[in-house]
Amino acid sequence: MADAATSNPLFEMWRKQFEESAAAWARMVGHAQTPSPLDPAAFWRSALTQWLEPWARILAQGAIPPDAPAQWKQLNDQWIEAWSKALGQAMNTDAYAAMMGKYLDQWLVAAAPVKKAAEQQVDQALATFNIASRTQLTSVAKQIVELEERLERIEETLAAIARRLDDKERR
Amino acid sequence: MGLERFADVVERFTHGYGSGNGHGPEPAPEVVRQWQEELERTLKRMQNLHRMVTDPTEPKVGQTPRVEIYKRNKSRLFRYQSRRTHRTPLLFVPNLGISRPYIFDLMPGGSFVEHMTREGFDFYLLDWGVFGPEDNDLSFEDCVTKILPRMTQKVLESSGADSLSVLGYCMGAPLSASFLASHPEVPVKNFINMAGPIDFSKIGLFGLWLDPKYFNVDRFVDTLGGVPADLVKAGFKLLKPTMDLSTNLNLWWNLWNDRYVEGFTALNKWANEYVAFPGEFFRQWVGDFYQQNKLFRGEAVFGGRPARLASISCPVFVVGAHEDYIAPPECVRALLDAVSSRDKEYVELPGGHISLIAGRGASLHCWPKVSGWLASRS
Repeated sequence: MADAATSNPLFEMWRKQFEESAAAWARMVGHAQTPSPLDPAAFWRSALTQWLEPWARILAQGAIPPDAPAQWKQLNDQWIEAWSKALGQAMNTDAYAAMMGKYLDQWLVAAAPVKKAAEQQVDQALATFNIASRTQLTSVAKQIVELEERLERIEETLAAIARRLDDKERR
Repeated sequence: MGLERFADVVERFTHGYGSGNGHGPEPAPEVVRQWQEELERTLKRMQNLHRMVTDPTEPKVGQTPRVEIYKRNKSRLFRYQSRRTHRTPLLFVPNLGISRPYIFDLMPGGSFVEHMTREGFDFYLLDWGVFGPEDNDLSFEDCVTKILPRMTQKVLESSGADSLSVLGYCMGAPLSASFLASHPEVPVKNFINMAGPIDFSKIGLFGLWLDPKYFNVDRFVDTLGGVPADLVKAGFKLLKPTMDLSTNLNLWWNLWNDRYVEGFTALNKWANEYVAFPGEFFRQWVGDFYQQNKLFRGEAVFGGRPARLASISCPVFVVGAHEDYIAPPECVRALLDAVSSRDKEYVELPGGHISLIAGRGASLHCWPKVSGWLASRS
């Protein structure tokens, strides 16, 4: 294939032009001698290679062995594990934590006024129809909890008094 | 070449192996048997998948018989039926929020509660409950100073015992440790920490994400009021993004196995039932524990009582999970060095945060260790 391509004069001319124009552009932006060009595929390559290589080995064996499904499962497990490790490493960095924190902060800053306005609107609408709002129901629930606590304290006090009285009677 | 090989496979499946079909030597009977088994498994997989999709049945969880002893707002105390051959009752304190506690009694034959009751323990479970916006004022301090003292008192009253053992799992362990450390007068005979983080400087990924440099807990709680269940879910999914993929792959692989499917259905129900965090609880949990590590550093104060881990002097058993990324073993183990107990032991078992206590591996590795350690001290 490569031989056929190199023997094609049109292709050769196109390739030469492409290389020359790329070099010209690089000179113009001042990066004529880039020591290590950016390789966007580097991140994916290890996982992809890990997934592909064992498949290539299986296919090279000739016949499909009866444990092929088990091998398929094992390969997928390895592939997922490789991804899990790669993602784990990427997420366990200050840069990732900072990025997540920044997005969360932005979302909170944007969400706060929207949430407040929506709650006010809903409260006003409910008040118009004389229906209790969520805030009112929540405060009633809190009052019930407080009442429950008070009752419990009274019960405990009464139980303590009853125990003391029992002790006195026994004596 | 790949196409030719695939055609061979199709040919073999269509016409069978060997016997004069002109496709090379006859394969070994063992190979034929293995392929037949695989085909049968795949058929069974399809049947079970069809059943799961068209006729999903609600799994029965939490089947060990129990009675409700006490209720306070959302929190409930349950006592499980058992032979009660051990004198000292055991109070199990699980995590608050995040998930429901029926994971500890998932299904017959796969239940930690069932194991403990069969071993003769008088087993009590504290179910913190499912929280709503009305609970947003509930704080960590309330749990330590109001709920846990009441629960231990109810355990002692209903069992008639003069002391109890406390087992804290996950967040339940720092909650229990905070309670024991700030209430040294409570008659606790034994304390077990299972996968409960203590030294938050070694907490791992969550610790990094919740670092005060990146996460403003006050802004978060002030804006949202509480932490909705969906956000809790998103946080945990983010911790292990490939989890769903591997879960589904394992499901397909084991879909032929009815017992696996039964277990998966129950576990899947639990795994998708997240529980919200009360706002004030979350503020204190993240601020005092993840961000300031107050309990481990001896700076925590609850209801005016200082909580020093060194004041825990009862026998202590700490169980860490080797692949736990929520509470890494080193942050769990830290309890051992912080308490003043003479009788203390640490074991690190295979598995993750959940598989430490739930599932087949747990029934082999973890449960017998816990019940064995506790039995000789109860």
